[in-house]
Amino acid sequence: MKFLVSRYNPDSDAAPYMQEFEVEVPRGMMLRDALLDIKRQDESFSFRHSCGEGVCGSDGVNVNGTNKLACITPVSELKEPIEVRPFPGRPIIRDLVVDMTQFYQQYKAVKPWVVRNDPMPEQEILQSPQERDKLDGLYECILCGCCSTSCPSFWWNPEKFHGPQALLTAWRFLADTRDQATDERLDALEGPYKLFRCHTIMNCVEVCPKGLNPTKAIGHIKALMLKNSV
Amino acid sequence: MSRKASGLKAWAIQRLTAIYVGLFALYLLLVLLFAAPADYADWKAWVGGPVVSVAMLLFVVSVLMHAWIGVRDVLIDYVHPIAIRAALLGVIALALVAMGLWAAQALILVRLT
Ligand code: SF4
Ligand code: SF4
Ligand code: FES
Repeated sequence: MKFLVSRYNPDSDAAPYMQEFEVEVPRGMMLRDALLDIKRQDESFSFRHSCGEGVCGSDGVNVNGTNKLACITPVSELKEPIEVRPFPGRPIIRDLVVDMTQFYQQYKAVKPWVVRNDPMPEQEILQSPQERDKLDGLYECILCGCCSTSCPSFWWNPEKFHGPQALLTAWRFLADTRDQATDERLDALEGPYKLFRCHTIMNCVEVCPKGLNPTKAIGHIKALMLKNSV
Repeated sequence: MSRKASGLKAWAIQRLTAIYVGLFALYLLLVLLFAAPADYADWKAWVGGPVVSVAMLLFVVSVLMHAWIGVRDVLIDYVHPIAIRAALLGVIALALVAMGLWAAQALILVRLT
C-alpha cells in the first residue's frame, strides 16, 4: 500500500514535506507496524512508540486528517494513500515527533492529585462503590494528546487554554469524593481562557482512543461552577 | 460588562440571552404571520403597548449582549496582539451601544408620539 509520511529535520529542511513509501500490508497489520517497516526502509525516519497495545499513549499521529494511536489503528481501515503527519499545532522536533511540553504544562496546572485539607487518616480513605463509579470514564485517560491537539481552541491558545485532556482531569478530581479542594479548583478555572475557551466543538470526543468524553466533563465543570455561584 | 464577567458569567449570559432571543423571535414571527399590524398606526399601537415595548427593548438588549460575548470570544481566539484586539473590541462596543440607544430611542418615541 502507498504511504505518504511527513518528514522534517529542523537542521536541514526549511519546511516539512511528504515522502512516499510502499509497504506490504499483511492481514491484521497495525499502522505502527507499517511505520516500523518504513523505518526499516529509511532508518532516519523518526516516530515515538512503546507499548504497542494502546496503553502508553506515546504513538499518537495524524492519519488521513484524524488523530489516532498508530498501534491500535488497523491499516485495512485506512483509505489509500495513507497520509501520516505529526499532531497538528505542535512544534515539530523531527518527522512525526512533536514537542508536547505545553500539553503537559496544562495537565500540571490542574493539580492532578487528590488534595486533602483534613489530616490524613491512618488507613485508606474509603469510597462507596457508587462514589467510585463517578471516576469511570475519567481515570482511564492515558495522556496521549489526541484530543487536545485536535481541538481548535487549543491550537489558538495552547499556553492559556487548558485543553480537553487537562479539563477532563480537572473534572476527574472535582468528581472524586476524597478531594477537598473543590472551591480552589473551580476558582482556578475562572476567567475567559482556561476553561471557557471551549466552544463545545467536540473534536476531542471524536478522536479519543479510549472512548472518553472530555466535552461532557467540561459541561459538568460548568454546571458545578454555575451551581456553586448562585 | 465588568472584567468579572469574563468567564462563567459571560457563558451564562450567552445562554440566557440565547433562550430569550429565540423565544421572542418565535413570538415575533407568529405575530407577523397571523396578526400582522395592518398599517403604521396599528403597528404603533402594538409596539407601543407597555408589555410589548418592554419585551422588545429586552430583546434588543439581549441580542446586543449576545453579540458582544460572541464577538469577544472570536477576537480572544483569533486576534492575539493586545492593542489590535482592544481597538477592535472598543469599536464594536461603541457600535453595539449606539445600536442599543437608537433602538431605545425609537421605542420611547413610539410611546410618546
Ligand atoms: S469540545 Fe471543547 S475541548 Fe473539546 S475539541 Fe471542542 S473546544 Fe476543544
Ligand atoms: S482524553 Fe483520550 S484523547 Fe485525550 S489524552 Fe486522554 S486518552 Fe488521549
Ligand atoms: S505504542 Fe503505546 S499506545 Fe501505541
